[in-house]
Amino acid sequence: MKTTLPLFTRAFVDSWRSTLGWAAGLAFAVFLYLPLYPSIGGSAEMQNMIDALPPEMTKALNYDQIATGPGYTQATLFGLIGFMLMTIASVAWGAAAVGGDEESGQLELTLAHGVTRVQVVLERALALFLRVILLSVLVFVLVRLLNDSARLDIMPENLFGAAVLFAGLSLLTGTAALFAGTLTGRRTYGLAAGAAVGVLGYVFNAVGRQSKDVEWLLGLSPYHWAYGNSPVAGGADWAAAGWLWGISVTLVLLSAVALDRRDVGA
Amino acid sequence: MSQAIVVQSLTKKFGNREVLHGIDFTVERGTVFGMIGPNGAGKTTTMRCLLDIIRPSSGSSRVLGEDPRRAGPELRRRIGYLPGELFLEGRITGRKLLSHYEAISGPVKRGHIDALAERLDLDLDRHTRKLSKGNRQKLGLVQAFMHDPELLVLDEPTSGLDPLVQQEFLAMVKESRDKGQTIFLSSHVLSEVQQAADEVAILRDGHIVTVASVARLRESAVRHVRLSATGISADDAGAMLRRVPGIARLEVLDSGDGVELSATLEGAIQPLLHVLSGLQLTDLVLEEPDLEESVLKMYGSLAGNGVRP
Repeated sequence: MKTTLPLFTRAFVDSWRSTLGWAAGLAFAVFLYLPLYPSIGGSAEMQNMIDALPPEMTKALNYDQIATGPGYTQATLFGLIGFMLMTIASVAWGAAAVGGDEESGQLELTLAHGVTRVQVVLERALALFLRVILLSVLVFVLVRLLNDSARLDIMPENLFGAAVLFAGLSLLTGTAALFAGTLTGRRTYGLAAGAAVGVLGYVFNAVGRQSKDVEWLLGLSPYHWAYGNSPVAGGADWAAAGWLWGISVTLVLLSAVALDRRDVGA
Repeated sequence: MSQAIVVQSLTKKFGNREVLHGIDFTVERGTVFGMIGPNGAGKTTTMRCLLDIIRPSSGSSRVLGEDPRRAGPELRRRIGYLPGELFLEGRITGRKLLSHYEAISGPVKRGHIDALAERLDLDLDRHTRKLSKGNRQKLGLVQAFMHDPELLVLDEPTSGLDPLVQQEFLAMVKESRDKGQTIFLSSHVLSEVQQAADEVAILRDGHIVTVASVARLRESAVRHVRLSATGISADDAGAMLRRVPGIARLEVLDSGDGVELSATLEGAIQPLLHVLSGLQLTDLVLEEPDLEESVLKMYGSLAGNGVRP
């Protein structure tokens, strides 16, 4: 029996429980946050409350834009809860794909079969990409569905751009985890690397926005590359999207080279 | 190409620690080759090098006529491999797991998986995490045998199997050999492989101490001899037996009008029989050779104590 892309099929199909779980979590977040916009973000009371907060805090949380529908969606969904969920999912998948598989001892048996190491990395990375894309499509569709009822007023093309950046940012953390995991053969190192890219990106953005003196931190923050100009409100920075996706693909290729060159399970 | 595996001066270093110090051995096609040695001797490392899971530091190896480092997936489709420590995904039935491995190995004949599972008494519809160690091992064996590979590389195949299944496994090995397949297996005890193996390599601390046929090991192995005889004194009996080459640990006791005698014998039996024919024997026990004992002696010395290489 010959299947096309057997490793991809296995990685993708076998993780359907996990994919569904994260989809449910993201859907829950969308339905929790967005319908509240008319009563929170858009109200004058809320604006007064936000004005009363320390400006450093509103900047760090991106709440300076919360008064409009697109800004609210950007700050709460793409910038915070959605970012968090997707980063965790993508990093967990990336770290498990090769590093976790090697650590659990299963990679050895897979490699003893009729596959190449490059094929193992590429097919599993493809499964990671597809899952992240599916979840991003889900977020796009759900936000479109709620757009009218929650009076969000988001332009479809801006939402699309934001979803592309959302996926790109998640892929960057996930492929960083894949690369570190593949390089070391340890799931933990993969998790650490992926989490570092996600968390540091977020922190550099929050700190970098505070003053001109630390603005240079923004350049180091993938989070800022993606969301610095608030894509849900103002449209995507396509160059940034190119960087996020491009670096992710590069990390996958580097992972393939790394695995091809070392002993497994030693 | 009559050799399934040819390994020459193979070394492997992990950092500064060299675990294989230039080993050489050859496995002929259609034979069963056993590699035995204590844990940490380098058996698993050797097998992993043959599968290109790890890469040797120097030396060369040919597997089924190809260089495993370069031959790629096509070569591995012709091999069935059982890792020394088998880890299997848990949330999946045995049947499903096997169909995953089927997709990335050589072609599997219809019904062959079920036939193998039935032979080993394995339930394929249970989730792998609910399987006992022995049943997981059976799943690993089915995985290695299912595509009828030209070469089977089995690292500690009998570990965790109960004695009945071990016998069934050994029968499978013999049948595979009779079909022309080559089997390279390892164990830390000789008794597990001596029934099936044509040749045995003994590996210790990354060196091959000796390669010998099981028959040869048997010849050089130590047997225990016990006998009772009448009409002879202990001194005379002792003197007679001491003349037999290979006799050691001789103990002679007077008993009634005869003697009781015990000793160990290393080497050929014929000289002993020759001496015994002059005695009035009332009882004679010549035990099966204890290969384990002779192998343990070899572990203790690199020179290959007692075995002519």
